[in-house]
Amino acid sequence: MSDIVLKEVSKSFGAVSVLDKVSMHISSGEFIVFLGPSGCGKSTLLRMIAGLEQVSGGEIHLGGQRVDQLPPNERGVAMVFQNYALYPHMTVRDNMSFGLQNVGTPKEEIKRRVEDAARMLEISQLLDRKPAQLSGGQRQRVAIGRAIVRDPKAFLLDEPLSNLDAGLRVRTRLELAQLHHRIKATMIFVTHDQTEAMTLATRIVVMNNKRVEQIGTPMEVYTRPATRFVAGFVGSPAMNFLPIASVSDSNGKASVGLPGQTIETAVPMAGLPKDKLTFGIRPEAVRIAAEGQGLKGEADVVERLGERTLVYTRLADGSTIIAEDKGISAVQPGDTVYLAIDGNAAMVFDEAGKAYHAAA
Amino acid sequence: MIRNHRREVVAAYLFILPFVLSYGVLFFWPTLQMIYLSFTDAPLIGPGQWIGLENYIEMFDDRRFWTAVRNTSYFVALTVIPNTLIGLAIAMMVSRLKGWQQSVILAMFFLPYILPVSVVYRIWNWMFNVQFGIMQYPLTWIFGEPTPVFRVQWMFMPTVAFVTIWWTCGFNILLFLAGLRSIPSDIYEAAALDNANRWTIFRRITWPLIWPVTALVLTIQLILQLKIFDQVYLFVQGGRPDPSMVMVQYIYNMAFQRNEGGYAAAIAVALFAIVIVFSVLQFQLLRSRGEK
Repeated sequence: MSDIVLKEVSKSFGAVSVLDKVSMHISSGEFIVFLGPSGCGKSTLLRMIAGLEQVSGGEIHLGGQRVDQLPPNERGVAMVFQNYALYPHMTVRDNMSFGLQNVGTPKEEIKRRVEDAARMLEISQLLDRKPAQLSGGQRQRVAIGRAIVRDPKAFLLDEPLSNLDAGLRVRTRLELAQLHHRIKATMIFVTHDQTEAMTLATRIVVMNNKRVEQIGTPMEVYTRPATRFVAGFVGSPAMNFLPIASVSDSNGKASVGLPGQTIETAVPMAGLPKDKLTFGIRPEAVRIAAEGQGLKGEADVVERLGERTLVYTRLADGSTIIAEDKGISAVQPGDTVYLAIDGNAAMVFDEAGKAYHAAA
Repeated sequence: MIRNHRREVVAAYLFILPFVLSYGVLFFWPTLQMIYLSFTDAPLIGPGQWIGLENYIEMFDDRRFWTAVRNTSYFVALTVIPNTLIGLAIAMMVSRLKGWQQSVILAMFFLPYILPVSVVYRIWNWMFNVQFGIMQYPLTWIFGEPTPVFRVQWMFMPTVAFVTIWWTCGFNILLFLAGLRSIPSDIYEAAALDNANRWTIFRRITWPLIWPVTALVLTIQLILQLKIFDQVYLFVQGGRPDPSMVMVQYIYNMAFQRNEGGYAAAIAVALFAIVIVFSVLQFQLLRSRGEK
């Protein structure tokens, strides 16, 4: 059992608070991703779980044991650092053996575990090299290997892909997913890249400004974001937001007035505030429609991505909305376009940023 | 951009000319002259007769020359490694401090290094003064009576070595501190997660990573201490210089007091050879150990 439980964990550096009462329960074997913009406290939270930062308040439990006052080595976790933090003067083999040597593991056992891990990560041929003789991707594997040989209760990965080039990042991402599937260990992965979070996580913890905004599966976070921040941060291109001029009841559902059109949504009227609301819709729910149907605007920028086309459309009131069209699109910049908005996919945010969704 | 090749070459020579000239005039030519002088019976000023290897033969039979070699080696043994280790130890302690505290403590350790040797001599001569020196308190406690350390033969070199370490340690601390700062903190964090205790971290992380700096400090120290002269010369004043004679002092003695320029040059050549052989040997040895 290696559940990780955080109870109202807080952290401040002097007078500056960086984390405020963060609580969560991570089950054994989960792949959790801490997602958020720089400075949201996600790395600090990871480092507190590792024992590299003192907690200022709250409790951390690991496998049923309270660990927040234990030194890093007594927590049984392994960490992969952003810059890998390999020991530059040791060979790959020594880098991977170091932790086991320090706890007095027998030599044959160390050799077997290092070689097993090296085989799994396809770095067997690199065992006698030093980190300086390795490429970025290879160093990354060694860093992961160093974590694997220790058979930790949990793997903590601090933006491990951010120093890799784009192609390698995608490949390593895939391999990490496969690795997690194979060793079924608890993993916590910190990133600011929402694609990494969506593709790797069993659950995403979206963090912003010292707090957890939402904890949920990638699809929950994507389709039913808890707050406007989550809605805007997850998804590429970002969700469209439009101010709502008026809202009225239509068979218990909210019918919202946008600049130029009224949209019937599936969001229940019950509990919905009456004013200062914002309308949210993902670009894939805004399609280019036939002439004269839907919201009228002017195509500003047309991005052709191959399988789909993104049309950045300027509306009459000057606001911009991103719409999606088919891959081979006839829309040209400057064209007048009409947008069909799928009201069922829409959501509404109140002034504080809380989201209101259609009934599940 | 394609530049005029000939003009670039001319500019390059112009730039290195001042150095080549001063190096040639101030170092290379005098060195050749010194080697030439060592084969003559020249006095301090003026030419002498070519006498071949006679100076060297005399040197090998000279009891005082060997005393100087022995004393110099003893002084090197007393200072080089202790000074390096003490420098490393203090640097490691200083590096644990943060911000202004670190700057203040570092400045305090570095302060003696900027003193001229005459001031160092004055300070420690007072400190060890038999009548009112503060160091006489511990010395009296150890030996039962006030002890004139610069007059007792066996205490002379260790005391001068102690003063030398006090005087020059600051620079080594500075070098080690720079080396320690260049080790990224996440390596220590990784080691902490890897169950390494403090001793293991020092032995397997800090020491190997700081090794290039250690090799540098050891080599600088070795060269510096082989050339020991001023401290011994100053502290021995009023006593008998012969038993504590070091090599540079003997060269000075021969050239400037006995007017035997040729013989002094021969001893200087011997010292030059020792410095080159030992420092090159040591540096290569240490470097190869670091690369292992």
